[in-house]
Amino acid sequence: MAALLEVSGLRKAFGGLVAVNDVSLAVSAGEVLGLIGPNGSGKTTLLNLIAGSLRADAGTIRMDGEDVTRLPNHKRVRRRINRTFQLVRVSKDIPVIVSVMAGLLHGAERAPYKDASYDAAGILGELNLLLKAGQRLDQLTYIEQKRVELARALATRPRVLLLDEWLSGLGPGELDGGMSVVWSLAAQGIAVILVEHVMTAVRALCGRVAVMNAGAKIAEGPPDQVLRDPEVIRAYLGDADA
Amino acid sequence: MRARTAATAIAGPPLVLLVAILACLPWLLSDYELSLALHLLSYLTLTVAWAMFSGTTRLVSLATSAFFGVGMYTVAMLVKLMPLEAIFAVAAGIGAVLALVVGIVTLRISGMFFVIFGFGLSEMMRQLMVWWEINKTFTMGRYVRVNFDNTMIYEHLLGLCVLAFAAGFLLRRSRLGIAALVIGEDETVARQVGIDVPFVKLAIFVLSCVLMTLVGAVMAPRFGFINPNIAFNPLISFQVVIMALLGGLKRLWGPILGVLPLIALSETLEVEFPFWYSILLGLVFMAIVYFLPRGAVGLIDDAWERLGRPMELPRGYTGWLRDAGAGVARAWAWLSRPRTLPGGFTGPIEGWAKRQWRRLVPEER
Repeated sequence: MAALLEVSGLRKAFGGLVAVNDVSLAVSAGEVLGLIGPNGSGKTTLLNLIAGSLRADAGTIRMDGEDVTRLPNHKRVRRRINRTFQLVRVSKDIPVIVSVMAGLLHGAERAPYKDASYDAAGILGELNLLLKAGQRLDQLTYIEQKRVELARALATRPRVLLLDEWLSGLGPGELDGGMSVVWSLAAQGIAVILVEHVMTAVRALCGRVAVMNAGAKIAEGPPDQVLRDPEVIRAYLGDADA
Repeated sequence: MRARTAATAIAGPPLVLLVAILACLPWLLSDYELSLALHLLSYLTLTVAWAMFSGTTRLVSLATSAFFGVGMYTVAMLVKLMPLEAIFAVAAGIGAVLALVVGIVTLRISGMFFVIFGFGLSEMMRQLMVWWEINKTFTMGRYVRVNFDNTMIYEHLLGLCVLAFAAGFLLRRSRLGIAALVIGEDETVARQVGIDVPFVKLAIFVLSCVLMTLVGAVMAPRFGFINPNIAFNPLISFQVVIMALLGGLKRLWGPILGVLPLIALSETLEVEFPFWYSILLGLVFMAIVYFLPRGAVGLIDDAWERLGRPMELPRGYTGWLRDAGAGVARAWAWLSRPRTLPGGFTGPIEGWAKRQWRRLVPEER
């Protein structure tokens, strides 16, 4: 299957610190790619580069064959790349449904205004948020806020979705629900890149895992195989345990 | 864009009637009342236009007087060359171009910097016009003598005001308006839902500035004599901000609640204390920002919510009896409470002695 999103030779430096160094990835429709690595290994920076929050110093990002490396953030959203944020970005004064409507109105499909509220209600319904539609985001629990972020991202009709630690901070019961949501996204044909520390979720959801350390990709493959890789163990636990 | 809900269907006819009544006012009011109405309408339109941009994107603009002045000066300069309606169109065009240029330059800066820039812009326009008038045209001030009486000015202003409200109403129910709302909350989120942030800011900025320019243009014949200090008066910018803040920015009709009392107040102050006017107005401004952070709209919203709460049923005279009974019971309890006898001047000494004793012989618990 041809890859939907192809990243090759991506590099980003902040001054002397090379946060992402020559990373290449590919993910195809309906696939869940896990992106793991110790803290500070450049996972979120890579996500920012792909989403367009940051500009890459070198390398290319191709979405469905089209080069999107130089496009600003909002244009990549319209090319169907979207993401959620590691720290939930809460809008205090806007009702939940309006932030989802904003995604529908300005996302890839640019829905007409008169349909937007119905479609937004549909998306909220799929994520069990319909009863919260009229509330402000700061009235919701943390888990609901995370779901609203996902709803907002889904409203732009993405084909590539970057989830930045979307499953962390959930309790055991909530984790099952969250995992089934991610699984259903993949089943709809969305290519998901999952940055995650929760290994049960990574093992259960990802067909393939890429491991980053100090800005570089050090391993890639099926989760069981990758997690036994001595270099990966060294990255997480140090030399003694490798 | 269909914005038809039950609320608009109910409110529509009365609003049309209100506008019709307002349009008849010039023939019913005295000259003084009409000039007060002009004052009111011009500020109302300016404030609605201001709230359109600043209320949604939360970038506080002090450039109001710059655009107001541009409108006014366009009329003053062209009044002998063209019919007035054509000049209004030219003024709108100039305002739009200026807003476009200013917007492209400034909308990337935010917060306090944007505020300062707006103020600086209107001062720069003023100084530029002063320089131009002194060095190029050798006049300091121009007369706008044209056949355009207060009634005509009033009708034009009313039209502009209705236009501003209609634009604000439609904006709140449109793609652009929702984009502005999200931008005001969080620009990162706005970009991430696909909103072209600079474009949206620019579009609303231009719309709001064109309205302000037109108000200035229409008001020019009212002023009659115009010089840069009158046209680019920074007080206009500040008053508009304060009126919007007093009214509250959450609702479209907020500015009405801000403009009415402040115009009344400024009229009174100007008549009673002409020399203390600015200082008193400044104190009032500070009081508003301090005590009414959400504006009058916030007060009304709270009252509305209180009205919507479950009502307390009337309790009849049995209620009073119960209260009285409870009062008696409380009084009885108070009277029969265990009491300590007054200690007199030996009391403190006894207390001290008791504390010393307790220190030596700790109480067993």
